[in-house]
Amino acid sequence: MTTRLEGPDKVTGKAVYSSDVRLPGQLYAKILRSPHPHAKVLRIDTSRAEALAGVRAVVSAMNGPDISWHDDTRLLDSTVRYVGDEVAALAADSEEIAQDALRLIEVEYLPLAFDVARGKAGDSKVQERGNVLTGLREADVTVEETYTTGTALHNALESHGCTAVWDGGELTLYESTQGIFAVRDEVAEKLGLPKDQVRVITPHMGGGFGAKQIAWKHSVIAALLAKRAGRPVQLMLDRTEENLASGSRNATRQHVRIGAKRDGTLTAIDARIEFQSGAYKVGGEDSDLTGTYMTLYRCENVRAEQTSMKTNAGASVAFRGPGYVEANFALESAMDELARKLGMDPIDLRLRNYAVRDQSEDKPYTSPQSLRRCIERVAEVFDWKRKRKGIGFAAHDWLAGGGWPPATVEVTLRAGRAEVLVGVQDIGTGPRTALAQIAAAELGIPLDAVDVRLGDTKPGLYGPTSSGSTTLATIGPALAEAARKAKKTGHGRAERGENPKDKTIRTCGAQCAEVEVDLETGEVTVLRVVAAHDCGRIINPLLVASQVIGGVTQGIGFALCEERVMDERLGESLNANLEEYKVATVRDIREIVNATESMPDLEANALGTKGIGEPPIIPTAAAIANAIFDATGVRIRDLPITRDKLLNELNQGQTTFSDNGARNKRGLSLIPGS
Amino acid sequence: MKAFGYSSPDSLDAALAAIGPQARPLAGGTDLLTLIKADLAAPERLVNVKALLPRGIEAKPEGLEIGALTTLAEIEEHPVVRDGYAALAQAVSLAASPQIRNLATVGGNLLQRPRCWYFRNARIDCWLKGGDECPAGDGQNRNHAILRGGPCYAVHPSDIVPALMAFDAAVRVVGAAGERWIELEDFMQPPTEERRTETVLAPDELVTAVRLPPHPEPTRSVYRKAMDRKIWAFALAGVACALRLSGRKIAHARIVLSGVAPVPMRAEAAERELLGREPSPERFAAAAGAALQDARPLRHNGYKVPLTMALVRQALTTLTE
Repeated sequence: MTTRLEGPDKVTGKAVYSSDVRLPGQLYAKILRSPHPHAKVLRIDTSRAEALAGVRAVVSAMNGPDISWHDDTRLLDSTVRYVGDEVAALAADSEEIAQDALRLIEVEYLPLAFDVARGKAGDSKVQERGNVLTGLREADVTVEETYTTGTALHNALESHGCTAVWDGGELTLYESTQGIFAVRDEVAEKLGLPKDQVRVITPHMGGGFGAKQIAWKHSVIAALLAKRAGRPVQLMLDRTEENLASGSRNATRQHVRIGAKRDGTLTAIDARIEFQSGAYKVGGEDSDLTGTYMTLYRCENVRAEQTSMKTNAGASVAFRGPGYVEANFALESAMDELARKLGMDPIDLRLRNYAVRDQSEDKPYTSPQSLRRCIERVAEVFDWKRKRKGIGFAAHDWLAGGGWPPATVEVTLRAGRAEVLVGVQDIGTGPRTALAQIAAAELGIPLDAVDVRLGDTKPGLYGPTSSGSTTLATIGPALAEAARKAKKTGHGRAERGENPKDKTIRTCGAQCAEVEVDLETGEVTVLRVVAAHDCGRIINPLLVASQVIGGVTQGIGFALCEERVMDERLGESLNANLEEYKVATVRDIREIVNATESMPDLEANALGTKGIGEPPIIPTAAAIANAIFDATGVRIRDLPITRDKLLNELNQGQTTFSDNGARNKRGLSLIPGS
Repeated sequence: MKAFGYSSPDSLDAALAAIGPQARPLAGGTDLLTLIKADLAAPERLVNVKALLPRGIEAKPEGLEIGALTTLAEIEEHPVVRDGYAALAQAVSLAASPQIRNLATVGGNLLQRPRCWYFRNARIDCWLKGGDECPAGDGQNRNHAILRGGPCYAVHPSDIVPALMAFDAAVRVVGAAGERWIELEDFMQPPTEERRTETVLAPDELVTAVRLPPHPEPTRSVYRKAMDRKIWAFALAGVACALRLSGRKIAHARIVLSGVAPVPMRAEAAERELLGREPSPERFAAAAGAALQDARPLRHNGYKVPLTMALVRQALTTLTE
């Protein structure tokens, strides 16, 4: 089995990440952030900070260039809109001096009213076909429930950050990004530079999960400080900043109605969704919560409406399967509830209704039966029919995975070696290795005779942002073509062709989870998750398994323990750290079985490959929630499913605790005086 | 973090002369440094006591003496602890992470500050930091105290302290006036208006050892801990139990609750429910009820009542199986 080519560099520390960059004369920058959830900045006095020995450059709304930023605000705005909003920044000889200098900046704020609870309605979007009311009237059985999901934080191991260095009028950014061209273009625009005068380099990065697909303010701030100081500037966010100001998965409230005939045939799906977008719309992939309601199941009458809610909190941004993860929890919980009402097996209900055609675009899928295959595969590997207490199922689809042209690839043969030049970056999923495998196979040379060059905008070969799980499906086919050309002439260049117009490329999958619940302490143990996904042809089974295990692990965190906690009175996040924001640990995952099969999708592209980065997280939370219901009879419609929620439900209407002869309806009522 | 001085005295007396409100002793540093980094403490000087206090575990006629500098990892691995003080070994293995256990000392464990998310945020004014009010009382209080709460509702985060209390541990304290032994139960005290810390240790005193008195065999013990995930989290609730039977009856019982009160607390009413009685599910349920009889949950932490009762029942059941 082919292991990661860059693995040895990573485990020996040889791989260079953004925070490892050390350039002669390099300075270290820190950002002063708003302590208020909403305030006017009346006055900033940076004179004492500037006077501190070792401080080399300071930028604030008072002395900075007027650069527009998201919505109609500025880079350093005169209004701050969440705790963590950027107010000023400085660069100094050391991080410690920079930190000390921040304390010397005096800011006068005028606090304004704020809302971190529900928020103010912003943009809306509706998708609709047929007539939901008609569909609900035709139904024999309906489910109508409200589901909520919390704000999840990406918490990639490596925080956001960069090192900025100027050479005359040209700027180089060593940036931890999943979109070197996106950052290049945005930073060039903000600084008023031609694109070719900005170079972005990302040899390795410690994860992004969607939060690093745009240029954030820190990149431009670092560039401005480096320009002023005339020296390279490194600006890495710390964990608190990372959790306040670099994106989150939007919290949602989803009111869902589903109707079905007695035999399980769906007659209507209706979803009214609110999602919290935070203080700004920051760009990148949109969070499409309506998508899966429209496409996962065959149904004539569907309506899905989403409204973004502005709050005084850090902005939401794409997070692994944005929109689909949150919507899948609600839709697949509701489908499970429907199966129970119908007295049907939850998997049989899905097999009756899964879509084989893109009903939104009215086009066939390139792989119409792959969802069925995934469902049947996962049921078989999990041994679903011999079911025991505590098992749950969820299916999913995903809007992407089929490749996002354009992209250009070059292959050059020299002295028995092949050099592959691409404009993508390695977000951590291992494209170096997979691309080298494709080239080696096409050229008929050993894997170690291939050098993959990526993560640099300088050669000018465009590659897409690592988003939508599209890198391999975008680059792979073009690389195979370039390699074929190079085999003949020594050099080959190829463009990624268009996706098929008459069909929709879909990735999809299914998962089963088995849980054990301690009914007395509310402890949930996820014993086993089996996952089968359609990612087309599998190039490297180990890399696919890595994505499946990682996605399911993150899904377990989303289901059971991850949630940003805000104090609504203070407008402040209480767990902007890795102590109280609890990601799943190695002890929280017992057994994750990757049952994904290779299913070449040759109608998607000539290589038949599709993406797997995002899909594995999408159905995990619903499968676990459904398994918890199976184990306990308690339905929790609010993620994460923590002990407080479970114990409050488990003790409702039960006489579990019969001490001192007291009988209690609720667990708490036996306490004298309460 | 603010800049601070550092000194490394060569005697205990010199260290005692050096420490005070603005000069804090440094041992493992796993809590003190996080406080300093978060701007929750800003001592002018750190006084290194790493070479001055006892380290190691010694079986003496008066009991098992654990030097203040003994690391949690050393306690966890010690055969006498594993054999005779199971609750302590279990509590240590459930505390923090292996990396922290390699550095953290038992003395520092007693003295660590709460993890309350209002207390740990330097921007937020709170009673424990010297303010007028506790924002947790009617705020985000799912992790907070259900017993003996108010004016502060933070809970002491230690898993080790309840286990030590289950063995009637005492603490040796030295100061300018000399040395004294204090029962751990008296050493740990909820903060007061005048003393907003969780122990009675004065700023110019040091903890030098913890002692567990000998206990006649066979005393069985267990520590149970509920967390938001399987590991590397502070207790939502925990219980340390030590139990000794004489014939079929319970001759000795210690039940100590953690994660539910400002400091770990003995549930003496629960212990009384057990003494002189035969173990049974009904008896254990009665003990669990008695342990929580004074509980006053806040808006978001009512779940801790059934949770803690379940832990008490399960711990007692484990010990009598």
